[in-house]
Amino acid sequence: MNPYLIAEAAAAAGVTGSFTLGMAGAGAGIGIGLIGAKAAEAVGRNPGAFGKVLTLSMIAMALAESIAIYALIRAFQGF
Amino acid sequence: MFLHPILAAGLTLHAPRLIDVDAGMTFTGWLTNSILVSIFISGFVIWLCRSATSRMLIVPSPLQNAFELVVEELYDMLESVVGRHMIARTFSLLATFFIFILAANWFGLLPGVGSIGWGEPGEKLGAFHSLPHVATPLLRPTTADLNMTLAMALVFMCFWLYWTLTEVGLKNFLVHLFGVKGGATGVMAVFLFFIFLFVGAMEVISILIRPVSLSLRLYGNVYAGENLLSSMITLGNDLHLPRWLSYIASVTLPVPFYFLELLVGILQAFVFTLLCAVYLQLSTTHDEDEEH
Repeated sequence: MNPYLIAEAAAAAGVTGSFTLGMAGAGAGIGIGLIGAKAAEAVGRNPGAFGKVLTLSMIAMALAESIAIYALIRAFQGF
Repeated sequence: MFLHPILAAGLTLHAPRLIDVDAGMTFTGWLTNSILVSIFISGFVIWLCRSATSRMLIVPSPLQNAFELVVEELYDMLESVVGRHMIARTFSLLATFFIFILAANWFGLLPGVGSIGWGEPGEKLGAFHSLPHVATPLLRPTTADLNMTLAMALVFMCFWLYWTLTEVGLKNFLVHLFGVKGGATGVMAVFLFFIFLFVGAMEVISILIRPVSLSLRLYGNVYAGENLLSSMITLGNDLHLPRWLSYIASVTLPVPFYFLELLVGILQAFVFTLLCAVYLQLSTTHDEDEEH
């Protein structure tokens, strides 16, 4: 499977950025936004749990962001 | 002892070229720029630990207090994840991961790391050439090297396998992976056997992916952060702003990104350690059956 397939198709359509990173970034953005929304809701329900909710949401955001980091490495490699 | 070949290799006319960005510069074959930094970090952490624990007092000195804080907090947090029966064996490896990765991530923020090195000469300024872009840095944060993070992840996987097998035994381990769960009998058990065999195969694949994701997450975060910082610092130059404006921009523009990299450094160290602890917990909790 040609790894440059998507990059070539995107370049033929006039897109010069990294398509892989675009889609991965969209997924990661949605995931992190959902985590933040649920964290805010949880603290609103139980303001005393702020510390625990913060720790848990930091961990979950780091894990969700790592998918976009994998794609970022691909972007530095050219596709 | 190593200084003369290092200096000799550094001062040759043909500076060692980077094959690809992950390879690093090799001085004496194995001594790449990130291994040099990891030697510095290890020496610094060991020196700090020794000087904090050389005279232990009942009323602790500030350095000893800081170390006691770190060790106690790590111990409590990891014990709540891994479990009391595993914490004695696993604490040294997990705490070392945290402290070493933290030191390695934050080392990359010091001035000089990544910006002093060899590269293509630029415009001529008097007797010297300017160096607009450092292609082969002398010092590089050690976790920005995929070799280091992959080594740490693989070492952890070897220890995980050893600890799991010595804790639950080989038969229980295989039953945990491939065994039929849910308590069905008769015809359904035979049918479910093959389904759970397939589920076990998927589980084995996801276990094999763990070192990949552990190493790539840490490597990607630190490498991308380093790239981001150097992009921000050289942004004035790249946009061809007037020289005074690019000086101001290269000092003020990276400041919020430095704070981001501080946060990312400690967060990634924490996530690496916590994920390793969670992987250990997943395969060694044999208390769940006895509590019901």
